[in-house]
Amino acid sequence: MAAIEVEHLYKTFRIPHEKRTTLFEALTGVFKPQAYETFHALKDINFTVEDGEALGIIGVNGSGKSTLLKIIANVLRPTGGNVNIHRKITPFLELGVGFQPDLTAVENVKIYATIMGMQKREINDKLDEIIEFAGLEKFRDTKLKNFSSGMQVRLAFSTAIQTDPEILLLDEVLAVGDMEFQQKCLDVLNQYQKDGVTIVFVSHDLGAVRRFCDRTLLLNKGEQVVLGDTGEVIDRYVYGGGEEAPTPSGNKNESTKNEPDPAETEEKPENKTPRWGDRTVEIINVEFHDKFGNKGSRFNSFDPMTIRIFYHAHKKISDAVFGIALYSENGENLFGTNTELKNFELETLEGKGHVDLMIERIPMITGRFLLTVAVHTHDQKPYDWHDKQYSFDVIPTCRDVGLFEVPCNWKI
Amino acid sequence: MITKHLNELYAYRNLIWQLAWSEFKLRYKNSILGYFWSLLEPMLMLTVLYVVFSNLMRVQVEYFQLFLLLGIILWNFFSRATSIGMNAIVGKANMVKKIYFPRDIFVISSCITALLMSIFESFIFIMFMAFFKVSISTNIAYAPLILFFLFVISLGLSLLLSALNVFYRDVQFIWQVVLQAGFFATPILYTLDIFPENLQKIILLNPIARIIISARDTIIYSAPAGTEDLLFMCISSIVSLLIGYLIFSRFEPRFAEEI
Repeated sequence: MAAIEVEHLYKTFRIPHEKRTTLFEALTGVFKPQAYETFHALKDINFTVEDGEALGIIGVNGSGKSTLLKIIANVLRPTGGNVNIHRKITPFLELGVGFQPDLTAVENVKIYATIMGMQKREINDKLDEIIEFAGLEKFRDTKLKNFSSGMQVRLAFSTAIQTDPEILLLDEVLAVGDMEFQQKCLDVLNQYQKDGVTIVFVSHDLGAVRRFCDRTLLLNKGEQVVLGDTGEVIDRYVYGGGEEAPTPSGNKNESTKNEPDPAETEEKPENKTPRWGDRTVEIINVEFHDKFGNKGSRFNSFDPMTIRIFYHAHKKISDAVFGIALYSENGENLFGTNTELKNFELETLEGKGHVDLMIERIPMITGRFLLTVAVHTHDQKPYDWHDKQYSFDVIPTCRDVGLFEVPCNWKI
Repeated sequence: MITKHLNELYAYRNLIWQLAWSEFKLRYKNSILGYFWSLLEPMLMLTVLYVVFSNLMRVQVEYFQLFLLLGIILWNFFSRATSIGMNAIVGKANMVKKIYFPRDIFVISSCITALLMSIFESFIFIMFMAFFKVSISTNIAYAPLILFFLFVISLGLSLLLSALNVFYRDVQFIWQVVLQAGFFATPILYTLDIFPENLQKIILLNPIARIIISARDTIIYSAPAGTEDLLFMCISSIVSLLIGYLIFSRFEPRFAEEI
């Protein structure tokens, strides 16, 4: 049975140019029509969440994820369409809603638990457990304003997990807190999932979405792009086709910077530009291709990737060597190779063409990486050298940490 | 629809109480002394008013201290309930934007906070009653009904004001002025008969005036409440609650966006 049904959901915000906030302004402005912008936060969203299912909602900032969640939680009302909820909702839109700094820990737990829908007896029974789980036994009667923010979050979290939800709405809950706290969250989520709680999960943490959600909804500028199997939807999001995926500035700027006629660039002092060489062979462009063959600049870790280098040889060249070097965002050199090192025989170059560097499996886990692309002679005389001019992002698909994956296994 | 909403409110009764009680504690900073200081204000007011009116202006009213005190307590309740209630939504912006439960819960619990504060003050009144050995008749049975009407009128107004306050922030200033004027236009410091006949009729259009007069009659002077008065109070509480809820539910869907 469906726990949540969303049909043709529209949400429009009216943003007045000049907001009238007083009765006086409203009365004096009665005959002046108010100018406003309409902002379509959600357009024709349709989906159902089955009982016990976990639905992920992903999308770039401003795509309407939180608005959608707030409408499901009944905090905002739809402009058009229907939202039917057939279960009791426990929203985790934010931890610690309604905390009062001037009341004690125990008093706050009581209020918060009541807000989260717990009954009085339940609260009294579980009070000690909650305080203990938060590790705050000594501070039961301390006013909340004397707590650190970490202590407050722990208190809120340990209260929240005592509720007995049927539908759980989570908005970036994992974004707060340290590693240990995130782990606790994940454990609790796992348990809820086992207990058959319906979960709607909004997150930028694609790794978490991939692990938890059976299905995922991708939103872009308020429109439902795709709804389906989590793996496929994440691929669609990450590789979203040239237009949808935001191209990182490094790549985009360069492709335009490279285009203007060479005369202009030559005026600049050579050593200051990140590009040098006599340009007998010119590198015109560099593209990153994902596993579907689409151009992009974001990649899942452990996915294949192709770096395509477009060149233009102004005369016949037989000693060209193409090379790349990979840098972390801080500029540390991580890896470098070229056609000579890989014993790849380039034929004589003439005119326009491209060479591909095939990467079977991106070993990086997360972060932005810079790429130097160069073509030079056998004896290192540069034809065209683009120093750290290209960049791409890697999005984590695993829970390991660090820059690179080291293939390994545990054993006893 | 009404029964459904009442059921919903009943389900949230714990929350209403928790919110009201925590607000009450916050107002007195959680300390015994806090409660004590809060009593000083009405006591001081009573003393000043008593000295001024009984000695300087020579008002001749039986049990004038009690007369004044009851008037002040009831007016204070009305003024606090509407002032706290008016800010119930705006002051809880964080909760309104993050979580849903019926929003009138905020307003209801604000009025209960005001009620708790007034109950506290009533202890002094009861002590005074005992001190002056005022005899009580069966007519005091009207009192709970009269106080109930006062609560309902205050709640209705609070609902109206809290909803308006979200959209028009100057409502709070306007209402404070209205309350100030109302304090003097209501027979709190004086009896109704100091006014000429036609002016009395206008004053009696104010349900709070009738409530205070009837409360005094039944509690202090052992007189029954007038049927006309009761009817007027009853109708005005129904009207106030009705208009309050109509406006409130009309504006409620946009609270989270506008706040």
